[in-house]
Amino acid sequence: MTDTNTTRRDVLKGAGGLGAAGLTGLAGCTGGGGGEGGGSVEVLHGWTGGDGETAADALTEAFNEEYPDTGLDMNPIGGGGNENLDAVVANRLQNDDPPSTFANWPGPNLARYEGVLGDVSDLWEEAGFTDSHVQEAVDLHQYDGTFRAVPLGSHRLNCLFYNTSVVEEAGVDPDSLDSVSALVDALETVSTETDAVPMTHGASGTWTTTQLFGVTLLGTAGYDGYMNFVEGSPSRDDVQAAFESLATIFESYINDDAASIGLTESNQNIIDGNAAFIHQGNWAAGAYRNAEDFEYESDWGFKAFPGTEGMYTLHFDSFLFPANNPTPENTRTWLEFVGGEAAQVAFNQYKGSIPTRTDVDMSEFGPFLQETAEDFADADRRPPNIQHGLGITADQRSSLNDVISGEFSGPYDVEAATDGFVDAVSS
Amino acid sequence: MREFLSTARSRLRRAAGRDAGSDGDAERADGDGDSALATDGGTAEAGADVAPAGGTDGLLDRLDDRFGEDFTESAPFWLPPFLLVGLFVYGAIAWNFVISLTEYKGFVGPDYSDLDLDMYVRAVGDSAVIDATVNTFVLVVAFTIVALVIGMLLAILVDQKIRFENTFRTIYLLPMSLSFVVTAQFWLWMYNFNNGVVNIALGAFGIGPVDWIGNPQIVLWAVVFALVWQFSGYTMVVYLAGLRAIPTEHYEAAKVDGASTAKMYWRVIVPQLKGSTISAAIVLMVFALKAFDFLYSLVSGYRPPNGADILATKMVREAYSTNNWAYASAIAIVLFLMALSIIGPYLYYEYDKGNL
Repeated sequence: MTDTNTTRRDVLKGAGGLGAAGLTGLAGCTGGGGGEGGGSVEVLHGWTGGDGETAADALTEAFNEEYPDTGLDMNPIGGGGNENLDAVVANRLQNDDPPSTFANWPGPNLARYEGVLGDVSDLWEEAGFTDSHVQEAVDLHQYDGTFRAVPLGSHRLNCLFYNTSVVEEAGVDPDSLDSVSALVDALETVSTETDAVPMTHGASGTWTTTQLFGVTLLGTAGYDGYMNFVEGSPSRDDVQAAFESLATIFESYINDDAASIGLTESNQNIIDGNAAFIHQGNWAAGAYRNAEDFEYESDWGFKAFPGTEGMYTLHFDSFLFPANNPTPENTRTWLEFVGGEAAQVAFNQYKGSIPTRTDVDMSEFGPFLQETAEDFADADRRPPNIQHGLGITADQRSSLNDVISGEFSGPYDVEAATDGFVDAVSS
Repeated sequence: MREFLSTARSRLRRAAGRDAGSDGDAERADGDGDSALATDGGTAEAGADVAPAGGTDGLLDRLDDRFGEDFTESAPFWLPPFLLVGLFVYGAIAWNFVISLTEYKGFVGPDYSDLDLDMYVRAVGDSAVIDATVNTFVLVVAFTIVALVIGMLLAILVDQKIRFENTFRTIYLLPMSLSFVVTAQFWLWMYNFNNGVVNIALGAFGIGPVDWIGNPQIVLWAVVFALVWQFSGYTMVVYLAGLRAIPTEHYEAAKVDGASTAKMYWRVIVPQLKGSTISAAIVLMVFALKAFDFLYSLVSGYRPPNGADILATKMVREAYSTNNWAYASAIAIVLFLMALSIIGPYLYYEYDKGNL
């Protein structure tokens, strides 16, 4: 009996000792890490795959060429849209360990970082960005009257892409569609004339639907109605009309498996000729460029979303400047580079977006982006988007997506969704 | 305690007397009984030794008196992990609770001077939180029950001395070795409305197609089914171990008494699997609370399909998409209490049995 007793105690002692050693070791680890201080600019961004990765590499290369003496530490954090990036940024800001700069959207989206962003107004002045960038960029990069960020490029959001052979088979001329109801008629024609899905939609996340609501509202209510919504005094009738159009489209003209697919699979329907139309930001065109034997105009086409002709729904990819910056001087160098021509050409031609500067030579860009840049320069109106930060705050965006998830992801409850949206943005 | 001792002894006798084909089994039972005896005997003796020494002075001695003879002596071994776990686990929970009492939001630090239960009041009035709580509860209960039933049936079937027993065991256990990320992607494809294998299979019988992910009434059950697929193999292994521990005499005695196979299992065998059931159920429930990974991978984001939102996803969404730290902490505390209400009774049950 004593024998077993000793053995058992020995085992316990051993286990206790091991546990103690292990935990002390762990505790030791937490003390280390952090605090590089070498002056390299640490850049957090979410471009980890495909176009984004190529574009980020081009950006790094251009920076190293222009500023060989400034260290650059690119730190890509991919996955979940930008959710993982945002979570890492949030944790680091909370722990008072901010990166030198991080990619995000400007506009009201800056409100979520209230109190932790620094001031780069002097940089905008010195580098002449206030003159060289479009006025909307100048306006949207300020929060409380102070510049907080610098733009790198812009995607267009009011896009309607189509598969040329499918619309030809259906006998639809996309360029003639100048209103949302004309689009609905065209979808009906596609559904009767062909076997293809009239409009492909990937709704495994709610953001695609919120984004589609944005352009539909812009297309039905026009610029003023849309801006009323964005600015917090929506007309209930406008919102309801937009939801009614959406409900018509969703109930009759989208793919059956919309709920279980995302943007990538949905976009593939266009490439494979299984669908006629898709609404997306022009990042969707990156997949067409990378697809084999799928050329602009002969195989796929672009049209401003019906009813939004002459407008360019804005999106910005920008770098934000955290206060308490670990490398304030070098971060300024980086931001000055980002807002310059070399960076905007290097990055945007691969990312499938366009420069936010008005003085950039577009000859290195493909024909589609050249056209986009012309539309951008000639646009009568450049309304801010609602799903990508420029029109409304992160809180409001989250509420809109809650409403889409609860009321408008099938079955489609127009009344409840309208009430939810009006409540969410009304100030 | 005395009862436990006598059952242990009788178990020992049974094990020794059994002429079972496997010596290993008998030996193991032997060992079990022995150590149980030793432990109980040891404690009882120690108690007897210590009692008269109670009068000695000195703080250390008094501590030893209070908590057992080697309390201070063994402190170097248990104290460091005790403090570390206390700080990083229970300290973090306590801090999280304090944050949930503040109004912390955004990146300007919390104000600890004004603590109240506002966030909990808000959570009680938030229909999204209530839905998420109900979904979490349904997920935990439905998943656990179904996984237990299927696991038990599989275990009974595999236990019939069939050929390729090991192969079957491996096949059933394999899904468990896959991560949630992989199984979520699997099932996302299989649940696809147009070309998913589930709808194709059902279509062969003229059923469907069913919108597994898009229909808010169905999606939670689709998730439960996928999780059951992944974890019933684990339940099966737990039950197999339980079945192997039941002496063959019990089967034989039941047969001799004229019980049918179904009756034998229902009346004799299944009741003896109580211990296996409880330990498997606890593990399954904890896994169900961790279904966050599965849902996150399903939609590659924090927002699960309508009808499948659980507290874990709601909590992360509040924290990271809107930086409502205090509100997210309150939701985390609710989730913690749910987990505690599962683990608590189990710990008490084990304590009551003298296993702790």
